[in-house]
Amino acid sequence: MIPVRCFTCGKVISTAWEEFKERRDAGEDPKEVLDDLGLERYCCRRMLLTHKEVVEDLFPYQ
Amino acid sequence: MEIAFAHLDERTAKFVLSGATPAFANVLRRAMISEVPTLAIEDVRIYDNTSVLFDEILAHRLGLIPLKTDLSCYGPREGCGCGGAGCPVCTATYTLSVEGPRTVYSSDLIPQDPNAAPAEENIPIVELGEDQKVVLEAQAVIGTGKEHAKWQPTVACGYKNYPAIRIDENCDGCGMCIDECPRGVLAADSGSVKVVEGRLESCSLCRLCERACLASGIGNEPAIHIDTEEGRFIFVVESDGSMPVSEIIERALQYVQKRSDDLVEVVNEITGEVAE
Ligand code: SF4
Ligand code: SF4
Ligand SMILES: [Zn+2]
Ligand SMILES: [Zn+2]
Repeated sequence: MIPVRCFTCGKVISTAWEEFKERRDAGEDPKEVLDDLGLERYCCRRMLLTHKEVVEDLFPYQ
Repeated sequence: MEIAFAHLDERTAKFVLSGATPAFANVLRRAMISEVPTLAIEDVRIYDNTSVLFDEILAHRLGLIPLKTDLSCYGPREGCGCGGAGCPVCTATYTLSVEGPRTVYSSDLIPQDPNAAPAEENIPIVELGEDQKVVLEAQAVIGTGKEHAKWQPTVACGYKNYPAIRIDENCDGCGMCIDECPRGVLAADSGSVKVVEGRLESCSLCRLCERACLASGIGNEPAIHIDTEEGRFIFVVESDGSMPVSEIIERALQYVQKRSDDLVEVVNEITGEVAE
């Protein structure tokens, strides 16, 4: 799961994840999506840029 | 001492504090971060959790959700009339019960007191698959950032010195500093350079312009000098949504005042005793 907040500054960034993922997978430039989502600081931006979602892979092992 | 706001809304504030010592500026910053109390989930009773996250991770994620905090309604549990057992004055209670397949969001946390609802509705807590289930009860209490970061009312909260840029007569207008400045603070001005109107506060004091000027072969001293104004600070404060930024600033200032009044009292007491 995407962390609830940015590790560094504490801003809630998890709310932006779903839209970011959708638009990035649709081929948009991540930079523009992040700008749109109002994530200004690079600490918050790397939270989304470097996230890999694995919960679905774990579903069989509940 | 003076505070001039450049920007103020519910979530963010930018202001210039002048006539203060660096020590005071730092006291204000620290008071805003770690002395203004907020609500955060502290105890979680888990009745059922068949999600892929452990109970502990689930509880940790719940703790990080910012909750709207009305400090006129809630007080710390320590010293509360209930003796620490938990009552509506010191505790906000939430229930959550969701069955998969779907994602659990912070809006699924049902607060007993609607005024203490999560500040954001779309925080994903856990993704549930087929036949997975989460049922729990959570209790939020008042605390301060000193104890745990989940009780901080601020997210980014800091200050920098107010920049003062001086350009000497011997500037030959080569423009090296303009190209070097990462913040777009400088611009050409008929054979010299000037600070772009309204950009002075964006200067990060990185001094790249000074180095570029030296590299342009002007001599031993650069023609541009970056300095700071004594006693002036640019603050940026952001709230996590638990309360408006203006309230955070106000409460932090009240805290500083109370602490210094207390100190005066204690010092008077001590010196009074010595005199006897
Ligand atoms: S100190 Fe840095 S930000 Fe400020 S004017 Fe010089 S290059 Fe620009
Ligand atoms: S680099 Fe130095 S000499 Fe060149 S424009 Fe800037 S201040 Fe003037
Ligand atoms: Zn951040
Ligand atoms: Zn109580």
